[in-house]
Amino acid sequence: MKRLRAQAALWIGWLVTILLRLVGRRGTSLPGLVASRVSPDLLFRLLSQLEQCVVVTGTNGKTTTSALLYSMLTDDEHPWLTNRGGANLLQGLLGALLPHVDGHGRLRVQRAVLEVDEATLPRITDHYHPTLIVVTNVVRDQLDRYGEVDGALALLRSGLQYPGTILLTNADDPLATSLGWERELTYYYGMEECPVDAAPRNEVRDGAFCLICGQELHYERYIYGQLGYYSCGNGHFDRPEPHYGGKTNSSFEVVIRERTNAGRQEEFAVQAGVLGLYNDYNVLAAAAAARLLGRSLRHIQAGAGRYEAPLGRMQLFPGSPDRILALIKNPTGANSVLRTLEADERDKVVCFAINDADADGRDVSWLWDIDLEWFVATARCQSYICAGTRALDMAVRLAYAGVDREAIRISGHLPDMLRMTSGLTVPVYVLSTYTALYPLGEELRGATR
Amino acid sequence: MTDKTVTLAHLFPELLNLYADQGNVSVLRRRAQARGWTLNVTPVKLGTQVDLGSVDMILLGGGSDREQQLVGRALAPYRADFAAAIEAGMPILAVCGGYQLLGRYYELQSGERIPGLELLEVITRADKGRLIGNIAIEWVAADGESDGRTIVGFENHAGRTFHDYAPLGRVLKGFGNNGRDHQEGLQYKGVVGTYIHGPLLPKNPHLADHLLAQALAFKGCPETLGALDDALEWRAHHAVLGMLGVKRG
Repeated sequence: MKRLRAQAALWIGWLVTILLRLVGRRGTSLPGLVASRVSPDLLFRLLSQLEQCVVVTGTNGKTTTSALLYSMLTDDEHPWLTNRGGANLLQGLLGALLPHVDGHGRLRVQRAVLEVDEATLPRITDHYHPTLIVVTNVVRDQLDRYGEVDGALALLRSGLQYPGTILLTNADDPLATSLGWERELTYYYGMEECPVDAAPRNEVRDGAFCLICGQELHYERYIYGQLGYYSCGNGHFDRPEPHYGGKTNSSFEVVIRERTNAGRQEEFAVQAGVLGLYNDYNVLAAAAAARLLGRSLRHIQAGAGRYEAPLGRMQLFPGSPDRILALIKNPTGANSVLRTLEADERDKVVCFAINDADADGRDVSWLWDIDLEWFVATARCQSYICAGTRALDMAVRLAYAGVDREAIRISGHLPDMLRMTSGLTVPVYVLSTYTALYPLGEELRGATR
Repeated sequence: MTDKTVTLAHLFPELLNLYADQGNVSVLRRRAQARGWTLNVTPVKLGTQVDLGSVDMILLGGGSDREQQLVGRALAPYRADFAAAIEAGMPILAVCGGYQLLGRYYELQSGERIPGLELLEVITRADKGRLIGNIAIEWVAADGESDGRTIVGFENHAGRTFHDYAPLGRVLKGFGNNGRDHQEGLQYKGVVGTYIHGPLLPKNPHLADHLLAQALAFKGCPETLGALDDALEWRAHHAVLGMLGVKRG
């Protein structure tokens, strides 16, 4: 009976997929949703056919980590499948599998990287045990959904209680680390060299207390949020030595030291076109997972190089000079982009492409709500170039933020702005509003080709 | 040694900050600095004492309807002090919501009236459709004289404002006070009320200096402000005129 239902669910799922294609819509969660309603069992029947399956879960970085890992693992000989775009609940997983099922109900692709929501993890592992589970971190997020961070931790713990599955998690996060306590087949990754907070910032630190005795954890160094080198004063636990240690200096490269069980050490560098400490952790996690699955360094490095972040997420367009493109559309987002630029201690040039079309917001007042004064005083920026329909508004904003007027250049057109940076020997950051982003992306891709 | 400090009271920055009013503050501060003056900015938070005795200039920004209502109530006890300051010629820059707040009331479309400070005979009524877009006006002095100088910025308001004072200027492109009488803003003694933000002062350095000079005069230290390098500001100003198709010599 269950088998019949699963078969019916499969057909219905296909039918919905075909109908959606006919009306020109793809990538929705509807086929998965309908099929899982008909047969909750179908997902597990399909999963059990997989030869290898990696589940990526945790609070932040799931999507980027699983996309990087997918890119490192898949090739023509051994294709992998994945659920793109954060469809990480049960129906989303089913929706990702459905297109790969043949007429006999068999999966044509036998390997999967699946991003899974923390609360969904136990619902999967009750029925199916993946090869490897990656937990990126456990931090405060979406309080309304899980109650508290303790609740999220309990869900993850119950999802990890099956002994055959490998766990890979973050040594620098005390909460994620606790998932590996007294658990076999557990591996850790962590940062060994990175730009470190001199003093703790005023942030919420969920993991800052020992889970056993409740005492405040002692931090030898802070990395960000609750991440760092921590230990309990009563000796209950401290940061484990990671099997995969990362080194980063705010460039696009993460150097990884691998410590295998035989005591051998090996170092290799991975370059991915994404920037920022959060992304460095994602690169480290993905590379460590790929190594645990036996992937060669060559494949890992090539896969990371192929990874393409969504446009405007601080991706690198290598060349002379290296250019980095970031979307800014409101003061909060712009401030967080500027924080990442501050962490790059190299000399640099910053370009602003500011348009005022409807999609950008016609009122450019928001430029004055960006915390530019701090940036101008602390970031080592040699000069600024402004372009876009509101280039001059941005130029005036920079002047009043304390930039020497000589160091501000105006360019009417976006391609001209990029041309003005060619031949520079320092990295160029291009911060752009929405409607300038796509033309700039095209130009930059063309220049890189 | 004389005390070269001019004091700006920024009223309720935590509530009336909808249109980047710190841009106006930042412009006044830099332009004062360039003339050897220190602009001392006193943020006045809701519920704290406002001592106008030590103030040379006031900035009242824009906020949402709810926030304006809160501010209106908090200021009511100080109405007499404000009225006296206006009559004494204290420069007051009131933008958007702050401009409406100087008047008698702001009538919502429901007919409900949010009471204003009743400092000036100004009324505002909300109407269908917001008046949104870039705006350029010709700045007309309070005595009706104009030397053709323009003021540019952005407006975004549902309220239509009516009064019999001198306007800040004549609308060249945009809506202005009410979208009907081609007038924008208000001038009365030291008060400048306007719907123009963007913020107002960065692209209008002449208006910034006008306010600064008034503040110095009010303080008892009148001074002719020397010219600054405003090439960038004027290019930005003319770019908006260009966008609006306003031709000026």
